[in-house]
Amino acid sequence: MSALRNFNLRDKGAEIWAGWNRPVRTVFVITFVLLVGLLPFAPSWGPTSFLNTPITSFENVLVYPVGMFVLMALGLNIVVGKSGLLDLGYIAFFAIGAYSQAILSTLYGWNTWQALPVGMGLAMISGVILGLPALRVRGDYLAIITLGFGEIIRIVALNLSVTGGPNGIAGIPNPPTIFGFEFNLMFPEHFFWLVLAMILLTIWMIRRFTVRRPGRAWEAIRQDEDVAALMGVNTLIYKLWSFVIGAAIGGAAGVVYASKVMVISPDMFKFEVSILILACVVFGGMGNIWGVALGASILAYLPERIRFIADERQIIFGLVLIIMMNLRPDGLLPRKKREKIEEKRTM
Amino acid sequence: MNFSVITTQFWSLVLQGLALGLIYSLVALGYTMVYGVLRLINFANSEVFMLGTFAVLWVEIEVLGHPVTAKPLAGFELVYTLVIALVGSMIACAVLAVLVELVAYRRLRARGAAPLSSLISAIGVSIFLMETMRMFTESRPQTAPRLLDKWSFGEIAGANFRIDTVLAIISPIVIFVILDQFVNRSRLGKAIRAVSLSEENAKLMGININRVISLTFLIGGLTTGAAAFLYTTVYENTVFNVGFNMGIAAFTAAVLGGIGNIRGAFYGGLALGMMEQFASAVLGSQWKAVTVFVILVLILLFKPNGLFGEAVQKTRT
Amino acid sequence: MNKKIVSGLAIAAATTLALGVVVSSPANAAAKKSVTLAFQGPLTGPDAQLGQDQFPGAEWAIALYNAKNPAVKINLIKADSQCDGTVAANIAPGVAANKAVIGVIGTSCSGEARNSFPAYKAAGLTMVAPSASAVSLTDPKAPDRGFPIFHRVVAHDGFQAPALVRYATKGVTSPKIYLVDDQTTYGAGLIKYAIAPAKKIGVAGTDSVPRGTADWTSVASKVKASGANVVIYGGYTAEAAKFFKALRDGGYTGILAAGDGVNTSDFPDLAGKAADGVRLTAADVPFDSLLTAAELASFQKITGVKVPGLYSATAYNAAQVFITCIEQGKLTRPAIQICVKNTTFTGAGGSKIKFNRYGDIIGGADVGGYLVKNGKIVYDAIA
Repeated sequence: MSALRNFNLRDKGAEIWAGWNRPVRTVFVITFVLLVGLLPFAPSWGPTSFLNTPITSFENVLVYPVGMFVLMALGLNIVVGKSGLLDLGYIAFFAIGAYSQAILSTLYGWNTWQALPVGMGLAMISGVILGLPALRVRGDYLAIITLGFGEIIRIVALNLSVTGGPNGIAGIPNPPTIFGFEFNLMFPEHFFWLVLAMILLTIWMIRRFTVRRPGRAWEAIRQDEDVAALMGVNTLIYKLWSFVIGAAIGGAAGVVYASKVMVISPDMFKFEVSILILACVVFGGMGNIWGVALGASILAYLPERIRFIADERQIIFGLVLIIMMNLRPDGLLPRKKREKIEEKRTM
Repeated sequence: MNFSVITTQFWSLVLQGLALGLIYSLVALGYTMVYGVLRLINFANSEVFMLGTFAVLWVEIEVLGHPVTAKPLAGFELVYTLVIALVGSMIACAVLAVLVELVAYRRLRARGAAPLSSLISAIGVSIFLMETMRMFTESRPQTAPRLLDKWSFGEIAGANFRIDTVLAIISPIVIFVILDQFVNRSRLGKAIRAVSLSEENAKLMGININRVISLTFLIGGLTTGAAAFLYTTVYENTVFNVGFNMGIAAFTAAVLGGIGNIRGAFYGGLALGMMEQFASAVLGSQWKAVTVFVILVLILLFKPNGLFGEAVQKTRT
Repeated sequence: MNKKIVSGLAIAAATTLALGVVVSSPANAAAKKSVTLAFQGPLTGPDAQLGQDQFPGAEWAIALYNAKNPAVKINLIKADSQCDGTVAANIAPGVAANKAVIGVIGTSCSGEARNSFPAYKAAGLTMVAPSASAVSLTDPKAPDRGFPIFHRVVAHDGFQAPALVRYATKGVTSPKIYLVDDQTTYGAGLIKYAIAPAKKIGVAGTDSVPRGTADWTSVASKVKASGANVVIYGGYTAEAAKFFKALRDGGYTGILAAGDGVNTSDFPDLAGKAADGVRLTAADVPFDSLLTAAELASFQKITGVKVPGLYSATAYNAAQVFITCIEQGKLTRPAIQICVKNTTFTGAGGSKIKFNRYGDIIGGADVGGYLVKNGKIVYDAIA
């Protein structure tokens, strides 16, 4: 038991990575990305066919929930994991992205690529509008404000006529062909590759941020906000930045999602999804990109894989959360030891 | 917008807001007591409430043998039936709350995990309990027999002083007075306050931390159980996901009043109950939640620790 | 129930452990020729009651058919959509990819139906829905219509809503109507189509109360203040029971009325005395009222459900549509589609079902009016 407890795969991985030179790293990354990219074909190849999901379509599950959850968990990880702010309404940014795409495409005929920057921009603006007042309060007060924000966005969508009320918006077009990739029902794997590209871009972006000034500021804020402020870090600005970047990722995911499902309605953006994505972040290992990606993949994939146990599968899902958090409280792949703060018992 | 309803129904809305708000307050205690000591959101409390409502049903229907179609009771039989149902619900909730602490929090706490890990573990408990109850009830809403006939003491200024409304106002006040006295006067109450101020120091003073923590969960469970009883008596029905909305409302109430603070839970619940009643009467029920959250944000902007928040800011990670 | 959970947990625990090892096996052990139907609806999650009520209707119809030892057996698989468009968008391609599936009983909800259409249309897989009643699904001009694969054995909101208004105000002198919906696709849709006919009579006010609301006293106060004497609710049983109780306890004495979402056998129990005299309409009929005692006993034995729930009759009918076609030897998706389009079917209680071009029942405009009397829902008149 204690061996399991003290074993840190993340540190082990970092050690191995540090021991490699540049060409080896490049080869490893390319192979890894290629393997992930081949995932949609896993069910049709013997040895990996056990991955197939009963009843639901595996290729589509890879796009949503798996891919989208990974993307959103990475975005939420900037807020929760990097700068230590508890956000319980992350789904709001996803909803804003999705509704931007839906309204722009059905009313003004914009395509997905044109709507993408607008959806991200709107999500970022709403991130600022929410963040400016909300980030002045701390800890669990922030949690309830973000929770409220998520609910407000959903309720507004439920009550306005431009968002179609409870019926939502139908007839959203698929994204137009790009680089020879067609996006429609026949090619769910193209959507997966699109989401995969977005995930890789996000990971690259987060890694750049982490080694630069914002990353250090977030780390300082997470460990002790007062000390960070004392050392001259403009905490509000950096918290706001983490919020806005997280929002942009959520918004981008929403835009792509809306153009994949073609019909959206307010009940897709419920509080439960915010909670699930938060669970992905913590389950995988707060603050660690690879942990978060792994956690989100597992939590999104598991309920689909056990779909043959129709009625009890949510119970299993709850049990998995309890057991795993008890066995690995810091998540599957926790952040590096040196990044971990001295956890005070009285926190 | 419908302002005429304020002029004609003002006192009626106030009275109903009181009754609803005080039920929120009792559930809010389940969040606030735990937060005061452990600094974490006891996410599973909503499911403790849910179980309480089913415990009331079980006691009334199975144990005491009053079918759903039973006629209202009177006199001594009414009193003891309600008391047994209340006690049953409180015990069930207290036991479950303590169990939740053992299963979801204790191990994590012993290993110094971040509060967020406990939150996720609590969410797991919550999903597990809710889905298990869903299977037991075959997803159907359940109803409680009307044992307490809803007679009225009379109307004053349009407010109808009905027995269940009065009961839902008086009993929480009694519970809050007792609890306030307990926490401020008794030895155990002092231990709770000591742990909530500083766990390390309390430990140095020879306080058994685990026992105190179990005690706070027990108290939170007892008040949540009382709330479940009042809820079932007033609204006479429940369903497996009844805890969800109640949980969000009670958590909001706790934050509004200043989480971690017993009096804060009381006033936070009251304020929330009033806001909900008036918002849904004037603006329409669809805008109720939006109004509540906007007011909450405004209050937190001016009083960042809630109406009765702790004097010292405590950061969390 | 208890046993079911324990065994379920055991299976589930075992499968979770062995997740990496087990290969998903199609539950298709029958040596004889067999075809598969999928039931798509919410079986877990917050809306689970809707699907859990319907599923037994379909389950029973298919069990009766299989008991006759036919040449072609029918398997029924559960596709749990949780009434959630996001889930349905994954389920539909999955079900469509399963070559054994030749028809879909569902969907239960209108929202998920729209997210399922693209995949089912591409696969030519026929749907017969027991309860998705949003008007747009069969509207030839709507962007989210289900033509040509979507059919439903339930009257849509545009039929039911005016009938509901008519029936609710029957015999009331100078009616003033208060309309309340529950902000779901079903409830809000029903009230949307009730407002126009209600306005011709006189509207006292409207409100939208989200599903799951416990405290209805403020709404009751508003209704009282508005002077309304007819209240029409668009939503489901649980909320209707709370709402009507709050109204009666608050001293409201006028008419109470609601649509088929409330017309379930457990409504009188849930609402208690407040249920007395409530006027209900239904495009669906309480299933037990159509069954003989022996049939009901068989239903209870096979499904383990004591009282058939809302839309179990339509779920039975939807299953009957497919069963009839399969009995005629139509075993491929295109054959089923043609058969469903062209055949006249016999539903529960001997009703005749024939679909029009866009998937609605021809002549399905009759909406029944029901009254609650002494704790029972009894048929009153055509609404």
